[in-house]
Amino acid sequence: MNMFKTAIKCVAAALLFSSSAYATTINFYNWSEYIPPGLLSRFTEETGIKVVYSTYESNESMYAKLKTYDKNGYDLVVPSTYFISKMKKEDMLQEIDHNKLTNYKNLDPSLLNKEYDLGNRYSIPYIWGATGIGVNTADIDLASVTSWTDLWDPKWKGQLLLTDDAREIFHMALKIQGHSANTQDETELAQAYELLKELMPNVLVFNSDTPANPYIAGEVEFGMIWNGSTYMAQQEDSDITMVYPKEGAVFWMDSLAIPKNAKNVDAVHKLIDFLLRPEVAAEVALEIGYPTPNSAAKKLLPKEFIENKIIFPDAETIANGEFHSDVGEANIIYERYYEKLKAQNL
Amino acid sequence: MNNSSMFKRFSIGILLVWLSVFVLLPNLMIIVTSFLTRDDANLISLTFTLDNYVRLFDPLYFKVLTHSVYMASIATFICLIIGYPFAYTISQLPKKIRPILLFLIIVPFWTNSLIRTYGIKVLLAKKGLLNALLLNLHIIDEPLRMMYTEFAVIFALVYILLPFMILPLYSSIEKIDKSLIEAAKDLGASKFTTFLKVELPLTLPGIIAGMLLVFLPAMGMFYIADLVGGAKNLLIGNTIKTQFLNIRDWPFGSAASITLTVFMAGLLFFYYKVGKSIKNRGNNA
Repeated sequence: MNMFKTAIKCVAAALLFSSSAYATTINFYNWSEYIPPGLLSRFTEETGIKVVYSTYESNESMYAKLKTYDKNGYDLVVPSTYFISKMKKEDMLQEIDHNKLTNYKNLDPSLLNKEYDLGNRYSIPYIWGATGIGVNTADIDLASVTSWTDLWDPKWKGQLLLTDDAREIFHMALKIQGHSANTQDETELAQAYELLKELMPNVLVFNSDTPANPYIAGEVEFGMIWNGSTYMAQQEDSDITMVYPKEGAVFWMDSLAIPKNAKNVDAVHKLIDFLLRPEVAAEVALEIGYPTPNSAAKKLLPKEFIENKIIFPDAETIANGEFHSDVGEANIIYERYYEKLKAQNL
Repeated sequence: MNNSSMFKRFSIGILLVWLSVFVLLPNLMIIVTSFLTRDDANLISLTFTLDNYVRLFDPLYFKVLTHSVYMASIATFICLIIGYPFAYTISQLPKKIRPILLFLIIVPFWTNSLIRTYGIKVLLAKKGLLNALLLNLHIIDEPLRMMYTEFAVIFALVYILLPFMILPLYSSIEKIDKSLIEAAKDLGASKFTTFLKVELPLTLPGIIAGMLLVFLPAMGMFYIADLVGGAKNLLIGNTIKTQFLNIRDWPFGSAASITLTVFMAGLLFFYYKVGKSIKNRGNNA
């Protein structure tokens, strides 16, 4: 009997200990491939704050989850610019206290205070990047690729990779036709749809999970790719590279944001501040191959990384491209057309 | 006596609670949602409409539906062609070995089907195992494109769903009264005639059950179409997923899902009718 009691006490103690070992827990919901392994456990060692990390592959799935989780949801998410403005409008985010962020000053001012979130009250830039044309130079002459229209060449029938993202796919057609990639104009979108219909027979695969993989696996030689994915693919196969098309690439920025119903807001600020540290931001950039918005971190990065034009395009290339912003109600027009495009080859 | 009736009530009670909380309630919610209107900010607005069902008749969704039926039918047919001889052979083996073989069919199920689908990617890739084998055997000179094709989707569907065909087939083949086969033999029927006239009709319920168990899930396995079909060989499940995630049209997604459920219920009803008529015929004979 006594032994039984002791056993119960031991179990109770173990339970208590395990729950008190980590006083606070943060649920961090981030894009796949966005955090180097081991980084978050260093944060936990340092602060005693446990981070439960999970990943998504599209803004849409993150948004849908946040909409449906009332409580016990996520404490930190990383939406793209146009989702920041959408979620802000729908009162899904809470203000970030800049006074708690000692490392905020490290950020590049040219990437702050943008239209989607003036004063960065709701979002802290984490990573930015670009979508361009992916090329395997083992099979294709790099000089022959200059424009989004190259993807329309009938010789690519059933061979291209496109990112699985309505906005990025419409970006190509809209840019070719000389329109803004953020258009809400129905006729412009209808024209873009007509052009994209001609592209569909060339598509082999839509992939927004890890577009690098089909290039590395030799399944595709040509199509769309992200600059970070290109960098990753190059570690495996140096023939894979990316071209910034002359009509303008897609640019995006993914920012840290705190959902309205987040708990442990103090702990979340600590994590944001940790991620803004120059050495941490540099490690993230180097691991995943995307440009960092952190100026202090940029100074810590190796020279060949900074000078890699794929990762850090020059100012002219950036000015030529376009960042995506929220298109409001027009978003459903993009998505409905996209649905039709996908069913076209059936 | 009293104890056992208590236990009965308790277990039935648990079952009822389980079914109502995890089956009835979610389905009711989906039914209600399917009559409401899409709302960009709040997902659903409480305005009654039948529009969601009307829109299902859009040629776009009809195209996706027929394509799903086509893919699922091929997968089901292949499962049957492979599954029937397989189940038949197992049922002819000594009783001691049979449980082991059936157990071996179940074992792959212990691994999540998503992980097994990633395994198929490794197998079918351009630089994958199958291509390497064929190249080494000099059967082909150039690696074949198998990934992101209809072939890959059907291959994966057959691989994942084959046990659902084999198990009901096995149980109905095993149940055949051996004396009927002996009687057929005594009356001079050839092996083929015996199979066609005796065994096949008697295993029809197993065949239909297996076909339903393969066909119905095959229409909805969106992750297979996404992973090995390149997210373009759409199944009806992909369209429903897109409504919920990308377009955020939950009412329309619900309507599509309800329609699919009704369609499946119709097939099950057909199965029930066939089963009954076979039974009746058996009784009359």
